[in-house]
Amino acid sequence: MSYSITCPVCGKRDLGEFRFGNEDRGPVFGQDTLSRHDYLNRVVFQKTLAGPQKEWWCHTSGCGTWFSITRDTLTNRELPGAADRRKEEEGKCA
Amino acid sequence: MEGLAGDTLASALYANGVRIFGRSLKYHRPRGLYSLDGESANTLVHVNRECNVRAETTPLVRGDAVSPQNTWGPVEKDRLGFMDRMDGFMPAGFYYRRFHKPVAAWPLVSRVIRKMAGTGVLDTHSTCDGDFRDCYPAADVCVIGGGPSGMAAALAAADTGKRVILLEIRPWLGGHFDWRVRPSGGKPLNEHARDLAARVTAHPGIRAFTRTALIDLSGDIQVTAFQTRDNGSGYDQSYIHIHPRAVVVATGAGERPMVFENNELPGVMQAGCAWRLARTWGVLPGKAAVFSVADDAGLEAAADLLDLGLEIRAVADARTSGQDEAMAETLARRSIPLLKGYMASAARPGNSASGKGVKQAILSRIGGSGAQRFGCDLVAVSAGLTPVAGPLNTVGAKIVYDHHTGCFMPRDLPFGVHVAGRLSGLHDPEALAASGRLAGLAAALDAGGNVSVRDIRAEKERLASLPGPARGVAPAFHPAIGNGRKSFVCFDEDGTVKSVRQSMEQGFDTPELAKRFGGFGLGPGQGGIPGHTLPLVMSQIQGRRQQDIVPTTTRSPLAPVLMGTVAGPNLLIRKYTPLYRRQNLPGTEFIRTGDWMRANRMSARKSLDANVADEVRAVRNRVALLDVSTLGKFRVFGPDALKALQRVYISDMGKVTADRLTYSAMLNTGGAPVDDGVVTRTGKTDYYLTTSSAWAGEAEAWIRYHTRYDNLDFHVVNLTDALAAVNLAGPDSLRVLAAVTPEGIADLPYMGYRETALNINGWEIPARFLRVGFLGERACELHFPAAFAETVWDALLAAGRAYDIRIIGLEAQNVCRMEKGHIILGLDSFQETTLTDLGLGFLWGNGDGTCDKVGAPALKFAKNLPARAKLAGLEISGGCPGDGAVLHKGDTIVGHICTARNSLTLDKTVAMAVVRAPLNKPGTELDVFQDEGGTGDRGERRFTARVVPLPFYDPDGKRLRDTVNPEGGE
Repeated sequence: MSYSITCPVCGKRDLGEFRFGNEDRGPVFGQDTLSRHDYLNRVVFQKTLAGPQKEWWCHTSGCGTWFSITRDTLTNRELPGAADRRKEEEGKCA
Repeated sequence: MEGLAGDTLASALYANGVRIFGRSLKYHRPRGLYSLDGESANTLVHVNRECNVRAETTPLVRGDAVSPQNTWGPVEKDRLGFMDRMDGFMPAGFYYRRFHKPVAAWPLVSRVIRKMAGTGVLDTHSTCDGDFRDCYPAADVCVIGGGPSGMAAALAAADTGKRVILLEIRPWLGGHFDWRVRPSGGKPLNEHARDLAARVTAHPGIRAFTRTALIDLSGDIQVTAFQTRDNGSGYDQSYIHIHPRAVVVATGAGERPMVFENNELPGVMQAGCAWRLARTWGVLPGKAAVFSVADDAGLEAAADLLDLGLEIRAVADARTSGQDEAMAETLARRSIPLLKGYMASAARPGNSASGKGVKQAILSRIGGSGAQRFGCDLVAVSAGLTPVAGPLNTVGAKIVYDHHTGCFMPRDLPFGVHVAGRLSGLHDPEALAASGRLAGLAAALDAGGNVSVRDIRAEKERLASLPGPARGVAPAFHPAIGNGRKSFVCFDEDGTVKSVRQSMEQGFDTPELAKRFGGFGLGPGQGGIPGHTLPLVMSQIQGRRQQDIVPTTTRSPLAPVLMGTVAGPNLLIRKYTPLYRRQNLPGTEFIRTGDWMRANRMSARKSLDANVADEVRAVRNRVALLDVSTLGKFRVFGPDALKALQRVYISDMGKVTADRLTYSAMLNTGGAPVDDGVVTRTGKTDYYLTTSSAWAGEAEAWIRYHTRYDNLDFHVVNLTDALAAVNLAGPDSLRVLAAVTPEGIADLPYMGYRETALNINGWEIPARFLRVGFLGERACELHFPAAFAETVWDALLAAGRAYDIRIIGLEAQNVCRMEKGHIILGLDSFQETTLTDLGLGFLWGNGDGTCDKVGAPALKFAKNLPARAKLAGLEISGGCPGDGAVLHKGDTIVGHICTARNSLTLDKTVAMAVVRAPLNKPGTELDVFQDEGGTGDRGERRFTARVVPLPFYDPDGKRLRDTVNPEGGE
């Protein structure tokens, strides 16, 4: 089962061109006070939601960009997310 | 045997009089041609050395040797034919239950069963010499199915300016119109098909793939399919992968098999199969036929075959009324009895040795008494059309029972998925075209096309005014079949109505459960024959309301596909360094490390030089030259370059200065080093760094990943392939260097860095000099443009001749660096071996560093954990164990050997190992156990080891640090 991912630079491409970069749960750095338990939960354990999930992807076989999308893990369809917003912003600038 | 161009194996065999194609799995019943699209295992044959070839869809090739399967002796007189009478001993699931106990009997029983039951015999020496390719065409709309509706959809979508791809499983477009001659709008349907096909082929916006079977249609509208190329090979296939924005599924309908006693005798076939044999392949399927059908398509087949010269004894129609008048009249005019409200309840075989096929058909009134017998050699059956809804199943639509048509119909289509044609239950030619146009326009709209809603509404209204789906009436089976002992629901697994009943009695009373217990639809034809029959048969047995019945789920691959086709072309990458040719000398042994081909040992005769003695001696005593072009080489620059390096390197990168190399490591989030290398500063915000060969491909993505939230302004340039690199190592290395380099380079202090031009043969070659010492001797690494690789190499060799320079390979490097206690990450460390465990904690200030670095928090947490496995040096007696040998103390495994070599320099066997603390303390005695399969000799071997301090060689690093006056002695 494969699906497609929309790269903010290159557009909608096949899954095989991308690599997964775990769930997007915000930065882990700059939090020196993280307990051992919390650190493990952040870097090792994933939430693996059944439904819309924010996650990082890298267009490894393309432009090499890391970006975050929201994907419904039940249907593998992308939900309008960061990529669309970025496009809108670019539209405003132009 | 002779065939015509375009024949399939099945059509050619049938035309040549072959009626029995093979024997069935369990009962060894003779089986013949039943369908033409590979819906059952009936016609699986051996072709050359390959088994289970689908005769129905495989093109006939001159010279192929075709033989039947699962038969003992000739297929007409299979000596295991008596199995047919043994069904009383083989109820549903007998395989699982009867031989469950005693366990000891199973090996014998399974051997017998496996010999008697089954399909083809695998030839383990046969190869699949296909030319496999990948194809990734771009399209806005993909239409699946090249029948009349699919073609109408493709044309409608393409006319809006969208790019359309049309997939058709058969070798030509046309679908069911292709063999139908009934006039519509003053023209026979087959001419309509040809006109449409010509328009599709000529349309610049449509790319039509024929011989292309769908593998999967997935939820975010991804289409995977494969095309068999038309060159007679059958193996030459292309894997097709499309991401359209909308899809039209127009896969049409197949005939639901009719269930009655002996419904799979040779001579019983789908009405459509008989019809297509005559119309498409020019073979009259029999002499005298009986039809048992349930819709107008079946009547049309009978009437057309009558016109073609087939003698028809009787036609049973499951409907009591509502027949197409023209068809009924055609039959009446020729005095063919049309039995309304009748269906087949049994077929009887002939008794003669030559005629095991069907001899007589019994037609019985539905819901009443009255049976009529007709002699025949062909029984054409169809319980009505049923949608080919597999793609809609995989795309996530609901498949529900439709009371009106008596079929399983798709509901709740996902966005961007449309259906057209016979799949939606339509039959009327005008309606098929209208539904195709409607679906095409809707798909084009979904794909962002310029389609007016008014056009879509008009098309919708037009479709509504045309005849809709016909009412389906045929029961799943005639009650007159009795217990259904030989009424087959699944041909492939010999599953009968009786075994359905048995499965249900065992408690497997839903189609999904019964399917697995009784094996219905688990054979090569998958759901082709039983897919829609099994749920209906079960509902009839249970007397359940049919709405409540759910069909079994169809999963991908929707068509059988070669593993080679999915795997695609062999994309094994072999990268050669720019110095490959210079090292490719007689005797050089190359090995593949990652993608790279690297020289491992310069004398491949391992038996003569197991310890690469010559190469090691050159490093230790004279001078050696090693190609290290595979090292990762990166430029990182920009205002935030330092911040990025601070994040990924565990050391304080603020201390990196110009002209000096800083050794550091990148850690994963678990605190384990994943890469080590040197970094230097080449400008205010410009850095040059090296990584290990293995990490070169990963480094850039790694740096970007771990700074992804920080919005830093920096660039990474991967110079790995742009720059060649060599390591000149050994006591005389700097003297050789002095001969080819400008003044001062040879005086570079240990860990110094310089960029300057080399002057060789009049070329000004920009080069970087890195005074490192991986091999434990004074040495210099040179990085320079790959285009000059051979020039520099030759110059160094020429200058080194006076010092007896030698080219060395990876193995010599491995021995030398190990003697010096330098690790190779991944070889001398495990996933859980942290920086501290490797004795490199000083890179992180021995625990005083900041936590704002990748892996640093884990180091902090692991700092005071006892009993961690740590790096240790070992001296081994009793031989040289293989890498990976186990270290144990009594019965407890306490560690593993990472690299063990016979060291000529030290005159003993030494190893680097990971040993559980506190056994890593020098002086500890350990036992070594090597199982067979180690890199050494096969077999179990034992050694003893003693922990000693690292490094083994030159502990105070004097040899590394010494600079040398090129003119004088040391």
